[in-house]
Amino acid sequence: MNSVETADTAAGYLDDLGARLRELGLPAEHVRVTVADLAAHLAECGGVAEEEFGPVEEFARELAPEGAGRADPPGPDGDSRVEVWRWTADTFVDEELLGRFGDEGWEMRRVDALGRFVCHRDLDRPQRWEYRRELVSRGREGLDERLAPEGWEACGDWVVYAWFKRPRAASLGPAAELSTVPSVPSRWNFFSRRFYALLGLLAAALAASGVTVALRDGDATSGLGYVAGLLAGAAVPVAGFLAWRRWRSRRP
Amino acid sequence: MTADRRASWFKGVLDLLVLASLTDGESYGYDIAKQLGAAGFGQIKGGTLYPVLNRLEEAGLVVAEFRATAKGPGRRYYSLTAAGREVLAEQGELWLAFDGSVRAVLAKAGVR
Repeated sequence: MNSVETADTAAGYLDDLGARLRELGLPAEHVRVTVADLAAHLAECGGVAEEEFGPVEEFARELAPEGAGRADPPGPDGDSRVEVWRWTADTFVDEELLGRFGDEGWEMRRVDALGRFVCHRDLDRPQRWEYRRELVSRGREGLDERLAPEGWEACGDWVVYAWFKRPRAASLGPAAELSTVPSVPSRWNFFSRRFYALLGLLAAALAASGVTVALRDGDATSGLGYVAGLLAGAAVPVAGFLAWRRWRSRRP
Repeated sequence: MTADRRASWFKGVLDLLVLASLTDGESYGYDIAKQLGAAGFGQIKGGTLYPVLNRLEEAGLVVAEFRATAKGPGRRYYSLTAAGREVLAEQGELWLAFDGSVRAVLAKAGVR
């Protein structure tokens, strides 16, 4: 391989790495200095990028901070090798995605404080999983007991939703075991167009109400104050509801 | 088998070795790899080293500063924090105790 070819390959690898790190949510400046640092490393050791750093997708995940779509190394629990992947989605698509990733061997263990699904996959004997979501805005009395006979087990909850999982082995038997699994997805957030549209609509409504008030009063700060008041007013019942939920969940 | 075993020992202690290599002052990725290579650990690939450096930085055990260079793209220089020194002392002691236990058992079995 001549030096031009090597430089081109290295540049391609580093470009690809930068793009993947950005996809994983790293700030642009952090990506820039990381890529520059690795370019300096390559220049000094004279190696080939892929040989030095490994496959680009895997290296990007390793470099990303905890939780940014990275599969953690095998955990210490028992002898089995387990990979962990945290991801999130909005409620328009979460059920569909859980079904898809469950079929790829991902077992949801919990929903973390940031609202991410914490999923494990057994690398030695990956199994297919299925999921269902229940609305628990009025509490979940009797829900777990009602679903348990069908093999459903609670695996996480968030605000007004509870998720349940069931191994496909319950219906498929040994056929639920996967012989091969795809690699860990490089994305960790799956927000739908409907979610962004809703967000845009809310932002537009908020901006419009602020502008209306500002024009009526002939004072821009009045409009800003109105918008701030609306946001604060919306936060109070949400905080009250979350506190109530926490209190209920801690009750014996 | 021997190479696999060495690789897993190395993986388990690499974060400590990186912290130890920064006790004399700041350094950068390739230089750390060279230091450890010269200490007898063989060639350390960037794919193994940089994720460890990132994790140490996230944990606040090292801090990194990027400096542009006159020639080339610039480098991140890592230095040990007070928390890093503490963890190195504490975990280093645990490793030495572990090493002592292994030696004692092997010596009893006649391995010297």
